[in-house]
Amino acid sequence: MESYVTVSGLISQFLVGLSRAMILFIVSSGLSFILGVLRVPNVAHGSLYMIGAFVAHTLAMAAGGGAAGFWLALVLAPTAVALISLAAERLLFCHLYEREHLMLLLFTFALALILGDLTKITWGADYRSLVAPPFLQGSVMVLGTPFPRYNLFLLAVGPVVALGLWLFSNKTKVGKIARAAAVDREMVGAIGINVGRVFAFAFVLGCFLAGLGGALVSPTVSITLGMDHTIIIEAFLIVTIGGLGNMWGALAGSLIFGVSQSMGILLWPQFAIVFPYLAVVIILTLKPTGLLKSVW
Amino acid sequence: MLLVEDLHKSFEDFTAVDGANLQVRQGELVAVIGPNGAGKTTLFNLITGHLKADRGRIRFLDREINRMAAHEICRQGIARSFQIANIFHRLSVFRNVQVSVLSQKKLSRSLFRPAQTLVVEETRRILESVGLLGKQLDIAGSLSHGDKRILEIAIALGNEPQLLILDEPTAGMSPEETASTMELVKRLARDQGLTILFCEHDMDVVFDVATHIMVMQHGRTLIQGTPEEVRRNATVQDAYLGGA
Amino acid sequence: MTRSLILSRSSFGWSAALLLVLLLVPAWAGRFTIYILAFVFVMALLAMSLNLLVGHGGIYQFHHAAFYGVGAYTAGLIAAKTAWPVWVGFCAGPLMAAAAGWVIGLFCVRLNKLYFGMLQISLGSLIWIIALRWYSLTAGDDGIHGIRMPELLSGSVTIYYFLLAVVTVCLLSLYLVYKSPFGVTLRAIRDNPQRCEAVGINVRRHQLLAIIIATFFAGVAGVLFVVLEGSIFPDMLFWVLSLEILIMCLLGGWFTFFGPVVGAAIMVTLRTFVGSVTEYWTMVLGIVLILLIFFLPEGIMGINFRNWSRRRSRRAAARAAEDTDAAG
Repeated sequence: MESYVTVSGLISQFLVGLSRAMILFIVSSGLSFILGVLRVPNVAHGSLYMIGAFVAHTLAMAAGGGAAGFWLALVLAPTAVALISLAAERLLFCHLYEREHLMLLLFTFALALILGDLTKITWGADYRSLVAPPFLQGSVMVLGTPFPRYNLFLLAVGPVVALGLWLFSNKTKVGKIARAAAVDREMVGAIGINVGRVFAFAFVLGCFLAGLGGALVSPTVSITLGMDHTIIIEAFLIVTIGGLGNMWGALAGSLIFGVSQSMGILLWPQFAIVFPYLAVVIILTLKPTGLLKSVW
Repeated sequence: MLLVEDLHKSFEDFTAVDGANLQVRQGELVAVIGPNGAGKTTLFNLITGHLKADRGRIRFLDREINRMAAHEICRQGIARSFQIANIFHRLSVFRNVQVSVLSQKKLSRSLFRPAQTLVVEETRRILESVGLLGKQLDIAGSLSHGDKRILEIAIALGNEPQLLILDEPTAGMSPEETASTMELVKRLARDQGLTILFCEHDMDVVFDVATHIMVMQHGRTLIQGTPEEVRRNATVQDAYLGGA
Repeated sequence: MTRSLILSRSSFGWSAALLLVLLLVPAWAGRFTIYILAFVFVMALLAMSLNLLVGHGGIYQFHHAAFYGVGAYTAGLIAAKTAWPVWVGFCAGPLMAAAAGWVIGLFCVRLNKLYFGMLQISLGSLIWIIALRWYSLTAGDDGIHGIRMPELLSGSVTIYYFLLAVVTVCLLSLYLVYKSPFGVTLRAIRDNPQRCEAVGINVRRHQLLAIIIATFFAGVAGVLFVVLEGSIFPDMLFWVLSLEILIMCLLGGWFTFFGPVVGAAIMVTLRTFVGSVTEYWTMVLGIVLILLIFFLPEGIMGINFRNWSRRRSRRAAARAAEDTDAAG
């Protein structure tokens, strides 16, 4: 066993962890955003991620599996997820904002259950897989080891999303309002901004990111029921160790999580999942409220 | 009894307490006054351990209490009421007070005894002393604002405190309620030998009740003395009384 | 101390009547009814243990089923993989569950409300993942079936009575806890943790104790499930089950003592019925939950109480509240 762990193996495993971290970041930043503004952990986040992956698969297949289909899926799948969340928000969720927090949370629980079964009804319990478009297939040599092109693509997308989110929340009016609402919602209400609309916006944007994560991950994993549970648990842990509602915390948490898991595979393949948990336990023992400052 | 020396506390962007000094002796009724934002509530929160001071010393009965957690400080004999009615809304009035008596008697973790039979007498006595015995079965959340504030004091009394800290005990009360509440405070101090530290906006109340007054401004102690000394002090007149 | 001091007369009467009926059920009911009822007992105990935390303690223990699973797996594995007497597993189950609850609780109680809930779900799910992946020990997804039980516990009627006895004792213990100074303090912490600290209560330590008690009884429920089914499988630790028991508490009424029992009875019946019609049970669960959130946030027992208050004078209702502690 030991002899397989070479330097190049370490590096490629590290890069795999990094690209996994990019997916985790995109999903958990959406979760973190909703958490920051609405102060609700969106349990349905994982289901929306799963739906994003399924929709991306369906769209890409319908378009013939080429590059055009891939790009189309990458844009339309998150949009579809955003529309689903918008419907849920406008029809039901928005009537609960005045209620106890627990009720909001339980609602997202209910949404997760319903979306889970709806996915099962629509797509069935089979495993599906999506092939990356031709120009992202195969591997390139990185530091002497072959590394999948698609993972490189993910490594590029992650920072772009991070930058986009940063620009959005710091440079646009809506973003600034959303950030202000996260810190002091009474104040935002007092200066005459429709808080309900801000909430709706934040919720839909967060869910869009979940869908985007799902669409991006679809060529790298087998798309199946149950992928919602793993991601939601991981995303919860990531925002907890990162600091609730903190975008950079989500990034830091994702990196720790993704890398510790991929390195753990080298050490103990069957229980690689235990390593990120260990990291979480260590971090929370040292700093109970997460690495970076939580917004509330 | 209580000695606060050169206490500092700043939050992210402003300094709430910036050099507060305070001395409370056994049996005194000390009022802290000062304009809004002078740092009175922050000072109280520092004393009771709900906030941690950046710098300075707090001694109570010759013991450093700076580093203690809120529940430990309470065990030293300091009980408090809060500025907003801080009670157990879903519990009955009786239970509200019983909780703190149980805590005082170190019974809160007792598992296999019915709470109904414990500390009933003590609880009733406290309710009687504040005049809430008649409402002991009401749900606390349904009380009037004035009664809620009194219940707060009753909860604090359950800890058999030596020092009782009241944060604006009459805020939001009608003139009659204010008068009767301050009567109650005076009576508690007299009958039970309580030392009381409170802050208050109504200057008539302060000068009527307090034996000593500490004036705060911008987080700093201006002066501490008897009501006469404070009244005579020119700085205070300029800064506060004169303005009002 | 008279009986009525501990149990108010009306609820004592109801409980005794219910117990009597349950004792007589095997005389006329069929196998299936007996089995379903026995399963209700297990779920009722599990939901009750959760409600000690969520309803009375205001502690967001969102993944309570993990400890039910720990209790069941401990008992099941000891019975299936060792030569030790089965009773050893029966005792070890709840203890292991409480130990797991203690360890996870240690991390969680340092955080407040939602933070607590999120970390609790995640750490609880770790137990699920271990049960799923540790194939050599737990047989992973397949679970272990046909676990042998002692001679004493054979036959569905015997098992029924065994479960009824254990659950009755456990609920009585939980009731004592509920009525104890600790129970009162716990409800005070739910209402206002900050105030509790100011009256000298170590909030975290109380919450941790509540978690240990609750996870212990969740472990007992897990062991009882093994007695009933002779199986263990990873779905027992899955968070959908946690949500299901949370809904039982919500449905029955958070702030009442017996609410979760009512909720458990309804949910198990519903599940049995729905399961025979459609495979989409989780969707039904989600819809039920949404309906509850919108139309019945205080639960069935909660409604009862409110109607009751309207009929009597306010004072009498308050006395009733003190009596049954429906309001605290």
